Amino acid sequence: MINDKNSQKIVDIIRNYARKHSLWILAYGTGCGAIELPPTMTSRYDAERLGVRGAATPRQADLLLITGYLTTKSLKRVIRVYEQMQDPKYVIGFGSCTINGGMYWDSYNTIKALDRYLPVDVYINGCMPRPEAVLSGFAKLQELIQDGKANGAKEYKENLKWYRDNQKKVITNWKMPEYNW
Amino acid sequence: MGEILQYTWGAIVSFVLAFFVGITYMGLSRIVTARVQNRIGPPWYQNFFDVFKLFSKDTSIHHGIMHHMGPAFMMVTAVMSLLIIPIFNGGSFFTNLNFHGDLIFLIYIMVFGPLGMALGAGQTGNPNSAIGVTRGLSQIVGFEIPWVMALVALMIQYKTTSIVDLMNIQAETGKWLMFTSPFAFIAAVLAMLGMFRYAPFDIVGAPQELASGPMSENGGKYLFVMMSSGAVFAFAKLTLYVDIFMGGANNLIILVVKTFILYMIPVLYGIVSPRYRTEQSVRFFWGWPTLFGLLAILQAAFL
Amino acid sequence: MMMEEIKTTIIDRIKLHFSDAVEKEFSYNRLDFSVKKETVPSILFYLKEEMGFKHLSHISCVDWLEEGEFEMIFILWSPEEKIKVFIHTRVDRSNPVMDNIDMIWRQANTYEREMKEMYGIQFTGLEAPEEFLLEDWNGPPPMRRDFDTEAYAAKTYWERPGREDALDVRETVEKRTGEVLPEFAKKYKR
Repeated sequence: MINDKNSQKIVDIIRNYARKHSLWILAYGTGCGAIELPPTMTSRYDAERLGVRGAATPRQADLLLITGYLTTKSLKRVIRVYEQMQDPKYVIGFGSCTINGGMYWDSYNTIKALDRYLPVDVYINGCMPRPEAVLSGFAKLQELIQDGKANGAKEYKENLKWYRDNQKKVITNWKMPEYNW
Repeated sequence: MGEILQYTWGAIVSFVLAFFVGITYMGLSRIVTARVQNRIGPPWYQNFFDVFKLFSKDTSIHHGIMHHMGPAFMMVTAVMSLLIIPIFNGGSFFTNLNFHGDLIFLIYIMVFGPLGMALGAGQTGNPNSAIGVTRGLSQIVGFEIPWVMALVALMIQYKTTSIVDLMNIQAETGKWLMFTSPFAFIAAVLAMLGMFRYAPFDIVGAPQELASGPMSENGGKYLFVMMSSGAVFAFAKLTLYVDIFMGGANNLIILVVKTFILYMIPVLYGIVSPRYRTEQSVRFFWGWPTLFGLLAILQAAFL
Repeated sequence: MMMEEIKTTIIDRIKLHFSDAVEKEFSYNRLDFSVKKETVPSILFYLKEEMGFKHLSHISCVDWLEEGEFEMIFILWSPEEKIKVFIHTRVDRSNPVMDNIDMIWRQANTYEREMKEMYGIQFTGLEAPEEFLLEDWNGPPPMRRDFDTEAYAAKTYWERPGREDALDVRETVEKRTGEVLPEFAKKYKR
């Protein structure tokens, strides 16, 4: 009775409701994006109303917020951070740099599309997105979590080879631990 | 047989009560912080979401056996001190497992959890954990001195080491110990600031400099255990203060009111304070709080 | 002392000791000297020890592709006299070797590592780890002017389709809305 499909569905609904209202973010603050987070968290926009809270380490975080361009050097660190996070985990790409390179489209060491290397659940566009846009991004992610559609981490595990190939194409000297979940 | 059943039920009910009240207090402290900072803040039940979410997260971290045991040590400490501290005045149901000499036992058991956590954090190999543990143990050395002095003063003054005896004395005379031995109360409250680890004494898990210190490798279910043990332990400590200084409580409402007022002292002091460095924190506790502890012992011995 | 007097004193003393120094005056508190490559360590040492230019503000490099030379610029600052001195020197572009000066100022080491990585200038006897800003880099030094960063980026990184027409904002606006750009704006086009 406990393990049949309907009760699993009910458990999922409750779990998703709790996950939706408790997003602990780990902000990877490269570039100019990190400056948009203090106004989002403090008294003017107050993201803590939605249950959004900063986490100190990747082990405790649910949501990886990549705020801006990623060079190949920082991509390496971001991949390690992402793989240290515990399931369920989500990624938000923040700003046009993560979508199509933005103003760094011809830079010699900046990747142009984040979702080739990490599974992105929600993109927030803009250069830079204002705190309202950030809040709407959080709200969109909450919607996806409630519907059970925010499963980027599952995708990452299923298509690990494709992601790894893309990552190794950019990071030529690959000296990272291989995780097998 | 009936006695054992009664004790078991008392333990279970007081644990559930402590869990719910403790988690609610954590949520309320977040609201209070938010209002002081001119924000709306999360709802009061926000921490129940957090705890449930942490419980439902997968946890695939392994650093060794002590690392798994660390949060368990915290939980054991919290539950043990909760079981020793009587929740209500009189009545046999919620007196739990207290015995003569439990005040001395409490002094020992209350540092057991942090020590176990220190061992667990040491095994993770994370440098932030090691620094956090060092800071935490130094801080314990700081606030234990006024805290033990206050308790010793009570023991000398009333010639007992039992919490129930202290509660009975207050019930008989009708005077709270915070008025009859004020210096011990002041020393104990100042030590409480360090016990609860709100700012300016949050040097252990300082998120901006240490990435949450000893917990930095603990996510998911580990953090769930630590959060809930923190809530239970906070409730146990607050109940202890109410029992020995504020005349205990006859029913739940009085208990909640008294503990909440006590809880607001470290929270409100923390909101408006920046963070101390380790040596500043230890110096604080070895200053005025220790002086008040000495005064309390003098008062107990000579008055 | 007035700034003019300070300047003439500095010029006189430098010219007395370093015959190849060519001075050039700039704004209120700035003096420029062009010297040969070999003179650089001794003139920097002299300025630091004898004339009070204790602070090395910056080391910079300019790529003169057409002339086949790198120009290196050392910027010094005197806290007492409130004046800065620029030392220019030229290095051959095909064989860019320069004297290491990090025994005069320790912090020069960092600038030299950056020069080495970004322009490929070799400093004799520079003791530093291999990598500084670029990790796992196997292209040519990226700040040289003959390095085509656009082609390199197109070759190395995957680009999301859909912004081919939007690489130049002014052109795109012109094309999409039919708005005619004024002449002065066209000067700044890519």
